[in-house]
Amino acid sequence: MGGKVTCTLGEVKNRADLIVYWGGNPAECHPRHFTKYTLTQKGKFVPKGRKDRTMILVDIRETPSAKAADIFLQVRPSKDFEVLTTLRALIKGQRVSAETVAETGLTLEQLQDFAERMKKARFGVLFFGMGLSMTRGKHMNSAALLSLAAELNAFTKFVAMPMRGHGNVTGGDVVMRWTTGYPFGVNLSRGYPRFNPGEFSTVDLLLRGDNDAALILGADPGATMPQPAIDHLARIPTIVLDPKVTHTSRLARVHITTAATGISAPGTVYRMDEIPLPLRPALKSPYPTDEDVVRRIYKAVAKKPAWFPGTK
Amino acid sequence: MLRITGGKVYDPANNINGQIKDICISDGRIVSEVEGGRTIDATGMIVFPGGVDVHTHVAGAALNFARAMIPEDHRRNAPYVRGERHRGGIGGATPTTYVTGYLYAGMGWTTVNEAAVPILSARHTHEELRDTPIVDKSCCVLLANNEILLDLLEAGETERARHVAAWQIWAAKAYGVKAVNPGGVAAWKWGKDAKGLYEPVPGYNKVTPAKIIAALASIVDDLGLPHPLHLHCNNLGAPGNYNTTLETMKVLEGKRAHLAHLQYHAYGGDDWFTMRSKSAEVADYFNAHPNLTTDAGAVLFGNTVTITADGPWQHLLYKLTGRKWGNLDVENETGCGIVPYVYKEKNLVNAVQWAVGLELLLLINDPWRVFLTTDHPNGAAFWRYPEIIQLLMDVNFRREQLKKLAPKALKRILLPELDRQYTLSEIAVITSAGPARALGLAHKGHLGIGADADVAIFNDSKDIARMFAYPRYVIKGGEVVIEEGEIRKAVEGRGYVVRPVYDEKIEDYIRPLFQQYYTMSFDNYPVELERLENPDIRSC
Ligand SMILES: [Zn+2]
Repeated sequence: MGGKVTCTLGEVKNRADLIVYWGGNPAECHPRHFTKYTLTQKGKFVPKGRKDRTMILVDIRETPSAKAADIFLQVRPSKDFEVLTTLRALIKGQRVSAETVAETGLTLEQLQDFAERMKKARFGVLFFGMGLSMTRGKHMNSAALLSLAAELNAFTKFVAMPMRGHGNVTGGDVVMRWTTGYPFGVNLSRGYPRFNPGEFSTVDLLLRGDNDAALILGADPGATMPQPAIDHLARIPTIVLDPKVTHTSRLARVHITTAATGISAPGTVYRMDEIPLPLRPALKSPYPTDEDVVRRIYKAVAKKPAWFPGTK
Repeated sequence: MLRITGGKVYDPANNINGQIKDICISDGRIVSEVEGGRTIDATGMIVFPGGVDVHTHVAGAALNFARAMIPEDHRRNAPYVRGERHRGGIGGATPTTYVTGYLYAGMGWTTVNEAAVPILSARHTHEELRDTPIVDKSCCVLLANNEILLDLLEAGETERARHVAAWQIWAAKAYGVKAVNPGGVAAWKWGKDAKGLYEPVPGYNKVTPAKIIAALASIVDDLGLPHPLHLHCNNLGAPGNYNTTLETMKVLEGKRAHLAHLQYHAYGGDDWFTMRSKSAEVADYFNAHPNLTTDAGAVLFGNTVTITADGPWQHLLYKLTGRKWGNLDVENETGCGIVPYVYKEKNLVNAVQWAVGLELLLLINDPWRVFLTTDHPNGAAFWRYPEIIQLLMDVNFRREQLKKLAPKALKRILLPELDRQYTLSEIAVITSAGPARALGLAHKGHLGIGADADVAIFNDSKDIARMFAYPRYVIKGGEVVIEEGEIRKAVEGRGYVVRPVYDEKIEDYIRPLFQQYYTMSFDNYPVELERLENPDIRSC
């Protein structure tokens, strides 16, 4: 199965009586999530708020989010996929042996209880974080969780949603899709979009040293990427647009200071559920907006002789 | 200034049927005479008003969700390589926005109506429409599962419901109102559906699908919107659903309505094994009721992706196909489901669907009330319209195609008995003049003095599919945008919007409900008019 069974956050607020966080620590990483959308909000069909909801946290370590949970399930590292697969079997009434479950760090009883709670929920939601999607198994883990959510719809209403963060990463993904058909990892060098994560993703290009220049906007790869990738950014002409000094701006050939979007520049931000919100700047900035700078660069580049695929 | 000379003109709205006639253009409009300027010699060609698509899905959260789900389709189709006057992109079942504009214009279509927009993500839809060049655009806002409205209908407050709906239409910067599976999508929020027109919607006591349909059709008529209620009936796709469709048409008596993609609503039988065409029953009733218009929602064999606000139907389709499933419920308003799909000639259900789309186009006798669509991308991608035109115009070609079906399928359909062939003039009606009139766009769909200068010029050829797939010239707003198979100018389109009248105080009613049930600031809910490129507010 591919795809995703999901909803906007207001559906969770109004309906969810079972909320599962998997491989994430919202208490610290998305501090408003509990209070604005999920746990403590009183919803149309969960009028008593927190009292009407059950929260289950699944993670490899006990984070501050565990305090908010009714049930905390500590999985052995790298065993998420096995747990998810077991749950998919259990909801369908298939037999699972206690020994196979043991290696996950959980007991069969715990998982049976979990499966039953999911099937009995009126409206359940699985939020999953980078602890699931960026650890061993990566997209296989996400796919298993998304399949679990889809298959639960044979019994009740169930949805899943990734816990995305890092500024407007969702907005970037959304706009890339309508302009190129793909969310990220797009190569336009042949004059049309090609998609191959693992080949054309930023980190892979940098690690192989394929690109001979970089324009970086709204991101600080110098803080998060592996050292050889950062070394390549330092080697090539790297241009950074950022309101502040960052790890990347320090190693860049050019740093253009821009107005901070949302504070002194207008724009649109897409929430993790892909709902667009307009940004109204509260302050004025002496610096140009990112959009201004990109438009000016584009105009200057457009004066150069054009290159089109098939021409020399 | 531009003169088109020597072409056979098909302008059914002005009773011009293949006469050789000059068409003169100045300042983006059709005029009676021009002096100087360019002349296009259209000798041996036919001249049509630009195509108008009354029902398509080309922009917004649901379509963009689908794009992410089908990278394999993007790879399968020829890419769109960037050139001096156009951007690169992807075609296929869910073309990227720029390519959507190029492909529609490249086929002679110059106006499109995006048929399903949630208010909550309307800002996103308008951002995409802004990035869809050349064509003019309008959109319909989804209201038939809006819980603020349903709660008002439950309470019997129809007057207030009208003000709320009017406010919502303007908040979404919409042009019309769409109803999808009335009550069924709201029920789907609990994993249920609304199948009986007169049964209460789950979660309500008095609200039934019939009540929602009647209320919304009246609201749209009372507000004087140029386009009637745009209705996707209950029980889409289900065997035996023609009864629901007939019942729905009865509910609509005395009111205007446009029934979307009628093909998906004209099946008999009790299950997938006994499913058969009921196009004759549906067409008969429809023919006798001039308050209604419809579009075909025709199916062509091949790969596509289905996208609809009808969440419960998509869950069923996922269970049937076992393939990918996307679902996106939108708080308090609507939902959407996405399932990639392949229509196969040898599959009985698919064969019936293919035949029913064509049957309805052939059995509905007034071409001014039935329009060419595939419910893009549900039945097939819009860029395959020329194939349908060929099927309609050439009975021998149709018979050839029928041979590809399983013999068993032929007993379930009427198509083998139908020998009607569309004329060029009728094609001009179902692709342009009719849908323009149904949308209430008086300056579209014809070539009379004062009309928008949207013109498509085709070779007059025996190879129908080819001639309609590759127009010689396409003119949009007086500018030559396509010539000799190339994009000459990717002009910007307009966005049509209506501003119905409502009591400004209605906001005081909506605001507290919004703050209670939604998750964004009320001030951020309505789409700013500035989000639209070239907004054109139509009076109502
Ligand atoms: Zn549709």
